[in-house]
Amino acid sequence: MAAELLYREAHFLDERRWDDWLALYHEQAEFWVPAWKDEDEATSDPENEISLIYISSRVQLEERISRVRSGRSAASSPLPRTAHVVSNVMVEPDEPDGTLTVRSIATAHNFDVKRREQHVFFSRCEHRLQRDDGEWRIRQKKLVLLNDYIPMVVDFYSI
Amino acid sequence: MNPAEIDALIDDRPEDGVFRVHADVFRRQDLFELEMKHIVEATWVFVGLECQIPEPHDFLTTRIGRQPVIVSRDGEGKIHCLLNACRHRRAMVCELMRGNRKAHVCPYHGWAYDSAGRNISVNLKEEGGYTPAFDALDHDLAPVAHVDSYRGFIFASLNPDVAPLEEHLGGATAFLDLGVDQGADGFELIPGTVTYVINGNWKMQLENSADAYHFVPTHMSYVEILGKRNPTEGRETFQRGYKVRGLERGSFTFANGHNVMWSPVEDVTLRALWLDREEVLPRVGETRFKWMLHTRNLQIFPNFQLIEAPVLQVRVNRPLAPDKTEITTYCIAPKSESRAARLRRLRQYEEFHNPSGLATPDDMAVFDACQTGQQSQWVDWHQGYMRGLAEVQTGDNEFARELGIHPETAVATTEALGDETVFHSQHREWRRLLMKGLRAEENRPRLVHDAAQ
Repeated sequence: MAAELLYREAHFLDERRWDDWLALYHEQAEFWVPAWKDEDEATSDPENEISLIYISSRVQLEERISRVRSGRSAASSPLPRTAHVVSNVMVEPDEPDGTLTVRSIATAHNFDVKRREQHVFFSRCEHRLQRDDGEWRIRQKKLVLLNDYIPMVVDFYSI
Repeated sequence: MNPAEIDALIDDRPEDGVFRVHADVFRRQDLFELEMKHIVEATWVFVGLECQIPEPHDFLTTRIGRQPVIVSRDGEGKIHCLLNACRHRRAMVCELMRGNRKAHVCPYHGWAYDSAGRNISVNLKEEGGYTPAFDALDHDLAPVAHVDSYRGFIFASLNPDVAPLEEHLGGATAFLDLGVDQGADGFELIPGTVTYVINGNWKMQLENSADAYHFVPTHMSYVEILGKRNPTEGRETFQRGYKVRGLERGSFTFANGHNVMWSPVEDVTLRALWLDREEVLPRVGETRFKWMLHTRNLQIFPNFQLIEAPVLQVRVNRPLAPDKTEITTYCIAPKSESRAARLRRLRQYEEFHNPSGLATPDDMAVFDACQTGQQSQWVDWHQGYMRGLAEVQTGDNEFARELGIHPETAVATTEALGDETVFHSQHREWRRLLMKGLRAEENRPRLVHDAAQ
């Protein structure tokens, strides 16, 4: 089930089914991509340190989607073609609060159609899933981008 | 290239109301090599923040143009800037981004240097069969000709023949002060450094940050989001709204290529600093508090920017090629700011400044578009330097007098002017430094043997 949800998330991003992708997220979902402090240490506290992306509600994910759909953002039109690969999925034992933590490795292959270039972003991911109306939803997604020397747009769809 | 060819690339005729820049300025490989030699490696460039190396023996590594350097604090607290290349075989003696070390040991043959750059070991020297001539050579890490700080910002120059730092910064220091003085005890660096590469010439980044004209067209999708945000949703952390007309805004240019674009914001209560006004306002006074709340994008030619839009950012460029530039960004903040202000700052910073935010990616996309577009060889001259030419005035205006500064030029207007004369100082300095460097080269023998080497 947990792995299936991660695969579906990747699939919806690749197919640009933004509404379906968004529906996987809880209303108060946190979407977090830390930055790096030095060679070895990513930032770990979004209230005191810089993140590449720190979003604490679904409304902000909706804003990002509206930006993509507006056609008025040079960075996101045309969008890169993407293939998200999810692997090494490990489900942690259930938390007492009823949430489930799922660890994975995400590889996002991007083809930048404007420049005819390809870039790969690879990350260590941690999803915290929560039951909501009988469905498992993403309450929290932490994606530690390992290659943070950024050559092209980094957004929810490209990593 | 010769000095006259450089001169011909900037069509600067104030008497005719003309300022144009040739596309070669942004695209030629041979010009890029000259820029590295006669600009980046010949004037003051930013190399780091004092707060990154607060303790004895703290260091950071960076580059001045093409040359790797170590910025190191020695045991007595003095800051050095040293070429990061072993005197033996030129290997980098330090490959870490930063840290604390009393000695840097070369990974190749083990020569060692202390935190002031002094050679403390030529490995197995006694057994080395050296001649007395070897002992006569200087084995220390080569110090960069000048290193100096202004209020926590460290600059260095490979060129011994530069004016003192403060003189070089000139009137631009007033805008560094407006950043630093926001905190009663100065600023600190918030952990998390972000680096990205733009497919564009380094000078375009400096221009873009001073370019009020691009904001709405380039960032239309962001402006739309700002317009839709509902203040009642508990979203007070974020920016809202963007007003083009009605607010008086403008620019200043200074000697040595520096400039600043400034603009009031529609709603000052959304600024992080506003939350701490009870402490800040009485300390800095009404005039400076007002200026601290303004958007102020300061460019210190050639590689440093202190941007406040909507919160403070240090942005440093490193040219990699005519069409590629590395940008490193730092979030700095008043050390003693309140918790609420800090949270607001973090989120506003990430949303606006990050290459993963809602605004900077669109700048990155247009740099790419410009760099590709100016490969066209039929139309060589940019028309993007003439907005505001009929408005620009030489010397002070009322806003300069308010701040007590003496800029070279000033523009102020309530209209959607989108001043472009602010870029002129940068191109005039570019021309001056290249012509100076080329003239000096003409008068110098091609190969120089330095006996001390």
